[in-house]
Order: sequence, then structure tokens, then C-alpha cells
Amino acid sequence: MESTQQTESKIIELKPFTDEMVVNMGPQHPSTHGVLRLELRLDGEIVREAIPHIGYLHRCFEKHSENLSYPQIIPFTDRMDYVAAMNQNWGFCLAVEKLLEMDETKDFAVPERAEYLRVLICELNRIASHLLSFGTYGMDIGAFTPFLYAFRDRERLLLLFEKICGARLTYNYIRIGGVSEIIPMEPGSIDEQNYLDEIESFLDYFEPKIDEYNDLLTSNSIFSERTMGVAVMPAEMAISYGATGPNLRGSGVDWDLRRDEPYSIYDRFDFDVPVAKDIPELGAVLGDCWSRYKVRMDEMKESVKIVRQILAEGLPDGPVMADLKAVRPPKGEIYYRSEAPRGELGFYIVSDGTPKPVRVKGRSPCFSALSALQELSRGLMVADIIAIIGSIDIVMGEVDR
Amino acid sequence: MDRYIRNIYKGVYTVLVGMRITIRQFFEPNVTHQYPYEHDFEKKRNVREIPKGYRGQLYNRIEDCIGCKKCELICPVDCITITGDKLPKGEQLWDSMNVIHLKDGREIIGLIEGEDKKLNLDEEMTVTNITSRQGPQEVVDRLEQSGDESRTQTISGSEVSRVVTRNPVVFYLDQFDIDMSLCMYCGLCTEVCPTECLTMIDTLEGIEYSKFDRTDLIFNFDKQEMYGKDEAETEEAAD
Ligand code: SF4
Ligand code: SF4
Repeated sequence: MESTQQTESKIIELKPFTDEMVVNMGPQHPSTHGVLRLELRLDGEIVREAIPHIGYLHRCFEKHSENLSYPQIIPFTDRMDYVAAMNQNWGFCLAVEKLLEMDETKDFAVPERAEYLRVLICELNRIASHLLSFGTYGMDIGAFTPFLYAFRDRERLLLLFEKICGARLTYNYIRIGGVSEIIPMEPGSIDEQNYLDEIESFLDYFEPKIDEYNDLLTSNSIFSERTMGVAVMPAEMAISYGATGPNLRGSGVDWDLRRDEPYSIYDRFDFDVPVAKDIPELGAVLGDCWSRYKVRMDEMKESVKIVRQILAEGLPDGPVMADLKAVRPPKGEIYYRSEAPRGELGFYIVSDGTPKPVRVKGRSPCFSALSALQELSRGLMVADIIAIIGSIDIVMGEVDR
Repeated sequence: MDRYIRNIYKGVYTVLVGMRITIRQFFEPNVTHQYPYEHDFEKKRNVREIPKGYRGQLYNRIEDCIGCKKCELICPVDCITITGDKLPKGEQLWDSMNVIHLKDGREIIGLIEGEDKKLNLDEEMTVTNITSRQGPQEVVDRLEQSGDESRTQTISGSEVSRVVTRNPVVFYLDQFDIDMSLCMYCGLCTEVCPTECLTMIDTLEGIEYSKFDRTDLIFNFDKQEMYGKDEAETEEAAD
């Protein structure tokens, strides 16, 4: 494998075989991002095999959904990837809306204002999610300060979410056919203006901070020594494991659903898709931990760009909820995917024409990314495992569902 | 050797760059606070308030509840338990009422005159039969002082934020329990409630209500005490 070739210099000790030692890492380990147990088969300090054992956070999302009506499922999607819950809500609602065949040709469609609010809030949520991943990655590697800084800024974002939907983590904000009206915000009212101003002031504060964080962590030589050239995931491997989102772009594949398969109103905004490159002068290899991490840092800037475009345009007038009496999709099935902060989030829904789905399946980006861990970690050091888990940015709530 | 020295230089330099950023923090105000001894929504340096509409503890203004069980149905985790019976035919706890929410946060409960016509918020409206049970304190006081005449009031439409019509209550609620230890604060129940009596408390009390015993988290709202003796007798008679 190419990955073992890259790390050949590190496996000099592999020849004299010693007894294999099995170490359990987790489930309660600060760097497992949830409850993940890794069974490490070690040869000294070299990892022969890292076998992830998942399921500690399994909460039967899919089975639960079969007994709930569509609007009732949305709060459960919050609990999948609780770091980016808005995007999870959205992914599910997009699938149901597709199943309901909501579009302009029908008399009910998702109103313009709701679409704008969705993009606005989901991009902010993407920033919050990447901030968390940046902070915890720093902490995993041994830098505690970025963690505090990330949480300080994330707090400001959470306050924004709190103002618009009343909750800090499990938002239940995006609904089928629009967004929640639990806290009404009249178009053009002073509330709306204040809210947008607040976002603006956050962006003004936050944009220089990204560069600051790049100085603080990205270019820090201790950090880059630990991440550059470690666990290289070539593009073919990323694709064959189904890695998506920043993990895929970290391997140099230029693929982003928001641009390549635009859903909602993403085609109206102008943004770049950051893709990792080989940077020989720094020592970064395409597809290593550092590249995956750097893609996230760059993506925050793009999200800021999208939010700024919305603020410049202003929110359109109109209702925020489609005129939808009851959610009762016709018989049929649908698979719809959207770009969540951690990759392609897909929902597969089978409907038999009743208000409850027959089957709901979530395609979790983290699960696919985690499956690559076994191959990525073969032949590396124990300490590198931490660097890999942080760089693929998994949230166990989504892996186990 | 050259590389070795360059590595040391790079290591020291990048750490110093980071240090510069952290040192700047010394001259900025604190972002943390000593919870629970101080809350950041107290008027301190990092002022913030719990936003209006925050999803906290559930509260049911049981007088307004019509026992429609919509909240029980929509709740995804079944944490609301309602048992109740219909009152005997022809009996009702009170008549249909209008709850008029004013823009300044007060509310008036009464009957809007000519309510069967389409409600026009631009015009003045006359409210009759204002009840003292739920009205704002000053209305209650005035009613007690001046007898029946002042149970009619004229409100200009511009003051009104919304009007809720409360149907005649024909339900006797034996039990209305909300198990807050199960609740996942999704807010769906408050959205479907037709009389808007089920709300989430968006103040400090609605957020900090931890208990030592899990059973204390089951909150009971029921109408028992409101009925008084007569109602209980009716209930028995119906049985
Ligand atoms: S807020 Fe709580 S009680 Fe209300 S529907 Fe949601 S889970 Fe049920
Ligand atoms: S939805 Fe409202 S009115 Fe109906 S039973 Fe629940 S609290 Fe009472």
C-alpha cells in the first residue's frame, strides 16, 4: 500500500517480532470524540492493527424513526451529529421535501426566506463544527490553548443559535417545508436587523481570528511535526472507503456537493472549495493529517464568505414555512444527500403513504471515515492514532446513531 | 547539522508566534465566569441575557388547557401523560373566551364584542365579561373596586399583538404530568398547543431546576384544585 511506503522510515523496528500486546483505547478516552473503543494490537510501540469497536452511542435512531411521524423525527436527527445539528436537520428535511415533491411547480414550495435562513444558519453551524474540530484536535495533540479559544468563539455562535431557535445544541430549527417559527422574526423588523447586525459583528471579529489560529496551531512546528506526512490517505483509498467532505478534499479530490450538485440555493453564492495540495516546502504530503485539518481551516473562511453574501443581500420577505397541512408523503422511496460539515450526509427514506416512514436509513459520513482508520493506522506509532482520529474528525453520535 | 539548527530555530520561532497571541489575552477581559456563583446574564462585564423564547422547563397554565391531548400525541418521547374525562353533556367549565395579548406583555381575557365577525386589528374592539381570574393585576384590582360595569373595556387594535380564542372547556383533567427527565426540549408540544397554555419557561428558573430525586422531575399540572367541591360531586354523579 502506498501509505505503508510513505511511512517506511518509521517501521525499522518491525523486523524483530515481539509478542503482540493488546491495548484497549477508550471507550472513555478524551481523544476518542465520543465513546469509541479501539482495540490496538501493538508490537512495541508500533500499531499492527487498530480495530474500532463502535456502538456505545447507539440509540436506535433508525428503528425509532419507524414509529414516529416525520416532524417528530427531526429532533432525533439533532442527536446524530450533535456538533452540527442544524445540518442534520436540514439533511433530513431535504430528503422528506424531495419525497413530498415540493418544488416551484407545486402550490407548496419552501419559501425563499426559509432557504436563506437555512443557508445562513447552516453555514454558521459549519463554522461552529469546524471550530470544535480545530480545538479538540489541538487538544489531542497536546496544545490546550486552541481548545479554549475555539470554545470562546463557538460560544458566540451558540448564542446566535439560541436567539433564533431557543436551544444551544439540539436545535430542531429546520422543519419540513421551512424553518421553525418558535421565536418569530418578522421580515424587516428591528429584531431581524439586530440579529443580522450581530452576525455581522461576529464575522468581523471572527475573520481575523482564523489567521490567528493558523499562526497559533497550523504553522506551529510541534503540531506540524506530529501531523505532516502522517497517515497519508491517497485519493483512491479515500474514494474506496467512501470518505467524504474535508477528508476527501484533504486527499486532493475536488468534490463538494454544495458546488457540484447544488441543493437549496447554493448555486447563488460564490465560494471556493478548498482542496489540499502537496506543500513540499512545509513538508505536508497530500492526504496526510495536516491536509485534512487545513481543509477545515480554509472552509471556515469560505463559510464566512457565504454568510457575508447573505448579509449583503439581506433576507427576502415572505413566510418561513410552506403551506403544508400534513406531512404525508406519497408511496415511494428517496435517497438524498447534502454536504454536512463532516461530509456527505444522506438519508434514505421509504414511505408507504402513511404519516410514518417505513424505513429511514442515515448515511453517516463519520462512519465511512472511521472505517478507513484500520488501514491508515497500520504500521504507525501509538501516538499517531490520536492524530488520525482527530484529523478524520468523527463524532461518535453520528457513527452509532 | 544545518538542518538541526534550522529545526530548532523553526520550533522556537513558531512557538513564539503562538506565545504572542496568548500574551495578548492578558490584556483582554475575561470570557469565563464563576458559575453558579455568578451568571453571565447578570449585569456583569460579559452581559448577556437568556433570549426570549429559550426552551427551558415546561409549564402548563392549566386553566387554559382544553385537554385536547395534541401535545401528548406530538411528543416524540411520550413524556406527557394526560388522563381526563369529558364532563357530562351540557356542562362546561367555562364559556368560550378570547385571550387578548397586548403588545406590552399584558393579557386580557374576555369576550370580544361582535367576535363572530372577522376580527379587524385596525379597529377598536370592545371586550365584555372580562374575567378576573387571569387578567393583569391592575384589571383585577379595578374590577374588585368598581363592580360589574368595568368588566367592559375598549382596546384600540394597535395595542393588540394577537388574539387567541379559548374554546369552552368540557374536559376534566385528572392528570397532567410532564416528566422533565424524559423531555428532550424539542418544543414541538408548545407549537401544537391550540390555546398556547403550554409554554417553556425562558428565565433562569426554567433552566436551573435540578432536583435530588428523579421523581421530583415529574411535574403535575391538573385541574383538581380548581374545581372545588361541586365539580368533584358532578364527577361522582356522572360515574
Ligand atoms: S418539549 Fe419535551 S414534552 Fe414537549 S414534545 Fe418535546 S420532548 Fe415532549
Ligand atoms: S395541547 Fe395545550 S390545550 Fe391541548 S392538552 Fe396539551 S396543553 Fe392542553
